[in-house]
Amino acid sequence: MTAVAASNGLPARRSLTIKQAYVRWLITLAVACGAIIVFFPFFWMAVTSLKTAPEIQRVPLQIAPDNWANFSNYFEVFKREPFLRYLLNSAIVASIAAVSSVVVSSLAGFGFAKYRFPGRDVFFLAIVGILMVPFQSVVVPLYVWMNDLGLLDTYAGIVAPDLVSVFGVFLMRQAIEMIPNDYIDAARIDGASELRIFFLVILPSVKPAIATLLIIKFLWSWNEFFWPMVVISSPQMKVVTMGLMSFTNMYFIEYNLLTAAAVISILPILLIFITLQRWVVQAVVMSGLKG
Amino acid sequence: MRRWFRIAFPRNYLDRRSRAGFLFVLPALLFFGSVFILPLAQSVLYSFYKIAPGGAREFVGLRLYEKVLTDLSFWTAVGNTLQLLLFSVPTTVILALAVALGLNRISSLTWRNVWASMYFLPFATSLVAAALIWQWIYEPVYGFLNYALSFLGIPPQKWLQSLFQVRPAIAAVSVWVRIGFDTMIFLAALQSIPEEYYEAANIDGANAVQRLRYITLPLLNPQIIMVCILELIFNFKIFDQVYATTQGGPAGESQTIIMLLYDTAFKYFRFGDASVMAVFVFVTLMVVTLLQWRFFRKPVEY
Repeated sequence: MTAVAASNGLPARRSLTIKQAYVRWLITLAVACGAIIVFFPFFWMAVTSLKTAPEIQRVPLQIAPDNWANFSNYFEVFKREPFLRYLLNSAIVASIAAVSSVVVSSLAGFGFAKYRFPGRDVFFLAIVGILMVPFQSVVVPLYVWMNDLGLLDTYAGIVAPDLVSVFGVFLMRQAIEMIPNDYIDAARIDGASELRIFFLVILPSVKPAIATLLIIKFLWSWNEFFWPMVVISSPQMKVVTMGLMSFTNMYFIEYNLLTAAAVISILPILLIFITLQRWVVQAVVMSGLKG
Repeated sequence: MRRWFRIAFPRNYLDRRSRAGFLFVLPALLFFGSVFILPLAQSVLYSFYKIAPGGAREFVGLRLYEKVLTDLSFWTAVGNTLQLLLFSVPTTVILALAVALGLNRISSLTWRNVWASMYFLPFATSLVAAALIWQWIYEPVYGFLNYALSFLGIPPQKWLQSLFQVRPAIAAVSVWVRIGFDTMIFLAALQSIPEEYYEAANIDGANAVQRLRYITLPLLNPQIIMVCILELIFNFKIFDQVYATTQGGPAGESQTIIMLLYDTAFKYFRFGDASVMAVFVFVTLMVVTLLQWRFFRKPVEY
């Protein structure tokens, strides 16, 4: 178990003994088994969504569906409920939340990172403090507000508390702080207004942070359930998470339909996740480290 | 006061710039003020008023606090929430730590990413979908879990419909959802520990357990505490999973504090009582967060 220093200046690499190789192999096996167990519910959901009602009630249970290309449950989901409308509602709400949060957060991030004005640090601390306020503690007054403003059961009502998040302000402030002041001063000397600097210098320099915030905020809004439950009452305004609940009933649940609906609700997120995985993970780690 | 006057009416170039800064920040301030600060103050205010569904208010002082805080069902909900927490928080953190340590030892970057994203996937799905998938797995007659357990000779269990198993069963869903998030945070922290530490330990003849005990865990301490607090807060506010599956049942055994708040406010429209609970939740979580800051904010130097 001696460390052998590599001659090319790279960090020293340990030579592997047979015992170490064995341990490493065991660790990989354990990690892989765990991952498969964690992934299994998704597989089970997908498989169930391809079965017919009599198939899922078979005893003893049969894992594979009779017909792997049986998509009738998916058609039934759209027939039974205005599920397309739910998807559209969620997409609208999540897109508005994501875009508005990028706009307001990057403006605020710029202000906090690059300007001095009275109260700046106090304001920033106050925003940090908001992380301590659970949304459930403000939900009753917010509901009363929405009622008074006539925003119950509207897109504006669903999206209102979701327009900006503390995480976004943090993220943008941190990203904008990295931009050298010389760039900003150079633009000022060229006679650019502060707003012009924001659009032409700041925004193009923080594209990765903007992408990160867009993705994470879309994801959060898409999965939101508590607040939509509070503001939405009419069927055509329901978001996807609420739409899933339409397939549950205290006494009899058609799990083949429910799982098909769940697959549909998860699919957009899954696509985003697979294509932009690196950014999603980075965003989540950052959101955690800031919380 | 004069500084604010000069922000409103800038005289020179520097003043105009600080006004620009303030204006950039203003939309965010207005938003957080009106969506969090003001409603929080209102929540506190509401908790002193008896509010009729029509909107008529009557100041009742601390009477609602007395009513809610002496109500058995409130404390049952708090107790259930704490039990759920006790099941899920340690399990999530310990499992996530183990997974992160394992992932960190996998040398192939591609495979590490593949396994990591499988652990992470539940976190990206909605809690409602997660809970409903699990409800199907827990199904007593046709569910997969009882089927799998039958091979071990274990008779069918009622899981979500059982008075005793409902809380561990719901806690397991929370663990499943959160494990990937915690793993990612631990993994990021693990990767920032300099390799030289382990090499030095190797030269000193430290074995794997000693390296974990004396290097990895102490250096990971800030992340472990942070993740514990985040899990504590997340699980204290548990709602979606319960609402989607048991709705607090059977016989109120999975009723949680936020479920009770939701029902009180939006099923029975007793805003005053709900506001007392809102204040309770806020104060509890604030105390937890402040205690964490007071006792655990020790910067770690690598």
